[in-house]
Amino acid sequence: MTHLSRYTCEEAFRRLDGYLDHELSAEEMVLVREHLEVCAGCAREFNFESSVLKGVGQKLQQIDLPGDLQARILALLKDRQ
Amino acid sequence: MAASGITAGRTFLRGRRGHTMYDMCDVSDDPATEIVATLDATAGTATTLSADEFQAMLVDALPSLYRYAFRLTRNRADAEDLVQDTALRAFRAIAQFEPGTNFKAWIFRILTRGFWASHRHNQRRPTTVDFDDTPDLYLYARSAEHGLQWKGEDPARALIDRLGAERVAEAIGQLPEEYGVVCTLCFVEDFAYHEIAGVLDVPVGTVRSRLHRGRKMLQKSLWYLAQEAGIVNALSKREANA
Repeated sequence: MTHLSRYTCEEAFRRLDGYLDHELSAEEMVLVREHLEVCAGCAREFNFESSVLKGVGQKLQQIDLPGDLQARILALLKDRQ
Repeated sequence: MAASGITAGRTFLRGRRGHTMYDMCDVSDDPATEIVATLDATAGTATTLSADEFQAMLVDALPSLYRYAFRLTRNRADAEDLVQDTALRAFRAIAQFEPGTNFKAWIFRILTRGFWASHRHNQRRPTTVDFDDTPDLYLYARSAEHGLQWKGEDPARALIDRLGAERVAEAIGQLPEEYGVVCTLCFVEDFAYHEIAGVLDVPVGTVRSRLHRGRKMLQKSLWYLAQEAGIVNALSKREANA
């Protein structure tokens, strides 16, 4: 861990999507996190984006499986066996 | 006995290396032909799922499979039909699934292919929002402009919570399909980029670029709906009076 140099705001921002989606390399994740620890402006933006996407995900996960769908499918599969 | 029937025809891909969901459907460019041609062929590697194992994995995946089908079809009856059809197709193709790989991604791919094959002609819904040149951090910037960066409460969550599940679904539904689908797979179903690439049969770079544009479009769509519903005004007033 000798070559790590802090990202600039621009370098961190370029990695916003990858950071929030956990698609960066481990080293990049660390470098972005380190930038966010010292840059309140970027941290606010990243937190806002993260919060929006998490909120969207949670809202859209709120759909219940129709009560009898599983039973119907399993019955169909049983017929096919 | 189910297992013997399921593994019949195993010689179809003899000599082929262990395959994954990513090379499952590469017979032709036509999605309908592709599904029939590949999923009717009960082929596999040395190990396959038993019928019981398949059912257990299917039951685990059903809630998210239905959720995804509902996002694609936008109505419950079609979503149920699509999930049912997907389950049967997957069962017929059970020998093509390689145990140890991602079952959810595999069956999502089958569902996506099934949807494309039957719904391509009416996939688009009119969009009321102009998504061209949507800047980065759209929602953050608009919220700041309207004084919604208040202290104490998470402004993004406050906005999303007030929008509610129905409007959030409407917001993602307004996106052009190729963007709405990647957003759903990433933000709702938590698939990694390479898994989304497998589900949609596109390069990872395409997933990345669609997600980059899609999340900006989604934010613009959310903002317009929040304005339309009076949520922006209500929150601005609350903030001014705080």
